[in-house]
Amino acid sequence: MSELVRLTEITKVYQGGVTGALNGVSLTVEEGEFTAVMGPSGSGKTTLLNLVAGLDRPTSGSVTVAGSDLGPLGETALARFRRDHIGFVFQFFHLLPNLTVLENVLIPAQLKSRVSSEAAGRELLAQLGIAELADRYPAKLSGGQQQRVSIARALINRPTLLLADEPTGALDTRSGDEVMELLRQLHRQGKTVLLVTHDAKLATRYAARVVSVMDGRIVDDARLETADREASDVIKVRGEETR
Amino acid sequence: MTAILVKAIADLRRRRVQAVVIFVTVLLSIGTGTMAVTLMSQTRDPYQTAFQAQKGAHLQVTFNPKTDPKLLAATPAAIGASAFGGPYLATGLEFKYGDRKYYQNTFGRDTPGGAVEVLKIAGGRWPRANDEIVLTRSFAELNNVPLGAHLRVTSVPQTPMLTVVGEVIDIDEGSADLSSQHAWVLPAAIPALTTPDSRFYAMDYRFPGDPTSSQLAGYVDRLRASLPPGSISGSVNYLLIRSIFNITNQILTGVLSAFSVFALVATIAIVAVLVTGIVISAYREIGIMKALGFTPAGVTGVFTLQIVIPALAACLLGIPAGTLVSQPLLANSSHALGLPYTPSFSISLDLLILVAGLLVVVVAASLPALRAGLLKPITAITNATAPRGGSGRRVRRQAARLGLPRPVILGIGDAFARPLRAVLTVVTVLIGVATVVVAIGLPRSFLLINNSETGAGRYQVLVSRSDAYPDSEVMRILNAQEETARVVAVGGQNVVIPGISDPVNTRLLRGDSAQLGYMVIAGRWFTAPGEVLAPKGLLQEAHLKIGDQVTGSVNGEPLQLRVVGEVYDISNLGRSLFMDLATMAAVRPAIDPFTYYVTLKQGTDVNAYVGRVAAAQPDLIDVHASDTSIIAPVKIIDSVLLVLAAVLALIGVGGVFNTLLLNTRERVHDTATLKAVGMSPRQVIVMVAAAAGLLALVGGLLAMPLGLILHHMLNDVISSSAGNDTPPGAYAVFNPLELGVIPLLAVAVAMLAALVPGRWAARTNVVEVLHSE
Repeated sequence: MSELVRLTEITKVYQGGVTGALNGVSLTVEEGEFTAVMGPSGSGKTTLLNLVAGLDRPTSGSVTVAGSDLGPLGETALARFRRDHIGFVFQFFHLLPNLTVLENVLIPAQLKSRVSSEAAGRELLAQLGIAELADRYPAKLSGGQQQRVSIARALINRPTLLLADEPTGALDTRSGDEVMELLRQLHRQGKTVLLVTHDAKLATRYAARVVSVMDGRIVDDARLETADREASDVIKVRGEETR
Repeated sequence: MTAILVKAIADLRRRRVQAVVIFVTVLLSIGTGTMAVTLMSQTRDPYQTAFQAQKGAHLQVTFNPKTDPKLLAATPAAIGASAFGGPYLATGLEFKYGDRKYYQNTFGRDTPGGAVEVLKIAGGRWPRANDEIVLTRSFAELNNVPLGAHLRVTSVPQTPMLTVVGEVIDIDEGSADLSSQHAWVLPAAIPALTTPDSRFYAMDYRFPGDPTSSQLAGYVDRLRASLPPGSISGSVNYLLIRSIFNITNQILTGVLSAFSVFALVATIAIVAVLVTGIVISAYREIGIMKALGFTPAGVTGVFTLQIVIPALAACLLGIPAGTLVSQPLLANSSHALGLPYTPSFSISLDLLILVAGLLVVVVAASLPALRAGLLKPITAITNATAPRGGSGRRVRRQAARLGLPRPVILGIGDAFARPLRAVLTVVTVLIGVATVVVAIGLPRSFLLINNSETGAGRYQVLVSRSDAYPDSEVMRILNAQEETARVVAVGGQNVVIPGISDPVNTRLLRGDSAQLGYMVIAGRWFTAPGEVLAPKGLLQEAHLKIGDQVTGSVNGEPLQLRVVGEVYDISNLGRSLFMDLATMAAVRPAIDPFTYYVTLKQGTDVNAYVGRVAAAQPDLIDVHASDTSIIAPVKIIDSVLLVLAAVLALIGVGGVFNTLLLNTRERVHDTATLKAVGMSPRQVIVMVAAAAGLLALVGGLLAMPLGLILHHMLNDVISSSAGNDTPPGAYAVFNPLELGVIPLLAVAVAMLAALVPGRWAARTNVVEVLHSE
């Protein structure tokens, strides 16, 4: 497997912040991995995800994704990078309310190219089990359905890397499980997934690797398929979060 | 109340850009409105003030020189005049100053005072010797003839010299740029300055009260009946002079008033859009305010005050500014009438404008603010944001079918996502573009009319002869020049037309006059003696239509005429006649033309031609290149129109800017999402610009017919106030390409205005926005 993401000595200090959101974090993610970044609120996990997506810039250090160093890229190049390489699934879906489901899904493709494949959009919706919702507006959908639309939108440009920021955070348990199953299937189909969650059980159930972040530092990096770490070890590290 | 004020001021600080938009919009519209109202109130019939002060003549009549002066002296009693001046012996005086020659009716008068037509001395003094003359200040200023200037009289063979010793203001004639002018010498000077053919008598009459047009017509009829036939050669009443004086101000105040109303409508639209937008964006805040104890009226007050405060500041600046800007026009009006100019304004009027302006803003702001006031607190807090606007889906679908890029499609959808806001924005654009159309069209219409009146492009040289120099000699000189392509000779004669109280000035033309470019509105140009054309004013007053026969009279002799066409002519506000010189031969064969319009062959050096012809007879003919420049009052109207167009276009831009600002702020979350899924900053700007472009395009396209209708209407109002129908050519001053380009220019300007909110949207911080849930 080849390296897809490399974070080197990343520090991120927000304006007015005394301590950094991230303090000297280094991390690599291999292509095809399902990695969960786990940590409590304010630990810096979402900041890490934003840096990988090129939505934010580090105070120091470098971020390389799919061979591109994001540091020197301008806003336009970063937008192009996101279109080409990143699929983003948000906690609150962030669907555009005035567009239909299908239009929402097609947006990234249409931003990338004038020729958007409506067929590809519909096929994705079918794969995610929401084909019949194509012409509905987001406000008419349940949270789980909205998140599926959000995943379809993230996949439309066949991204190199799928980022999911607390994708089950706004969902009930059943819908959350369905969404995570979807992510697992995508991973099995070869997609690289980087998941941010505060839920240790969720992380250990679906991810092959769990990176624990606390106070802006990586405090644990567990590859669960290997013999040396068990899911329970990870849960032990984050025990207070899973009580 | 304190809480409302504190909250409103705090909100105002937070929404500085919107405050600036309101300030600028109200400033421009209130400034324009103040200017219109000030002009209307302060120039309300200034002529009447001067007329009373100078005991102006209600009726001025000229008489055949053969009329017995004793009979004339008895006329005031015969017609019931309350005061009179004259009879004055007068003459048509031609004189030369510098290299120009002028013609003026010159009256013999002992004194500038009297019971009627007091001449106000504006400079110098009244003549004391027979070689001294007094001119009107208007003529002296227009032609740069200073006091002390020596004028060589060319209408008599002796060519005596006269010295200008005074300048007067005469309330009984129009300004020099619109009317021919009078001059005065001592009565004893007249015999030496006149030939038997050019002398006449003049009388001025005043009547009790202010006689109406029909009363004046009655006085002229009684005068005519009391004298031998043909005694009256001409007459002019004060109503005509007053109309000529007031026409510029009338047009100006009319145009200003119309566009002030437009500016006001645009301001109302912008205020309504803004308040609606603020309410929508402050839903959660409204809930919190209500939870804290703000009453519905209090909440409404907070939102209304945010608008009223910058509007008040704009009024406090705009009203004095509007008053100030109107002063040069007021000064101009006072100067023309010889009234002392003092900066004129009315504090009570300004206060009224302030109250009215603020009231309009309050109503425009409080109606949408009521929505906030009436909102249930729990709904506002729970929903946090206002219900989303419509999707603009249909518009987007149409755009998608055109294969437009996605950012453009999204922008187009955004433009009409909130239909009321879109409609109000379109209204502001529509008003701005329509005004621009009018401001482009009217000066062109004026130019077209000016060209027809001055023969621009039709003849290049004007020649006038002295009575002492025969017509045949002038024609010989002109025909001897090989560059002469055509000569149309013009004479004049007053003709009495039934139904018209004053004898009508007639233009008698010899030669191929159809080529002079006079605008025929209906019917055709005359082709034979007896055929006549007249403007609408005369046709209406004399109850004539094309095809009618009418029997006029000249010096008491009947003259058969047949109306063959309606022509555009503003002289005497549409009371004139055009006919072949040969028509007059039937009643007075001695009439000869005195002016010659000369068309030159292509490539002729006009100045060289003028110099050569003038040299052939330096004293007795005046030769100069035809002056086709626009007269000053029209220039003023053109300038005011230009300023109005700029003001309303700016308000239109402000409207678009305001809407885009609200749209981008309201959709900041959507923009952040779009950026997160790969929309580049440039695409964000394109999206915002597309919304602006569409609004401007719709406004611009709707504005074209409105602008053309307005242009049509204003042309009609202006033409009608000058006693004419509008010539069809004055409507058709736009070419199809321009009609297409103007809305596109509106689109371009709106897209430029979109750059600022577009850049703000492009700089949306995705992380901040998406994680502030």
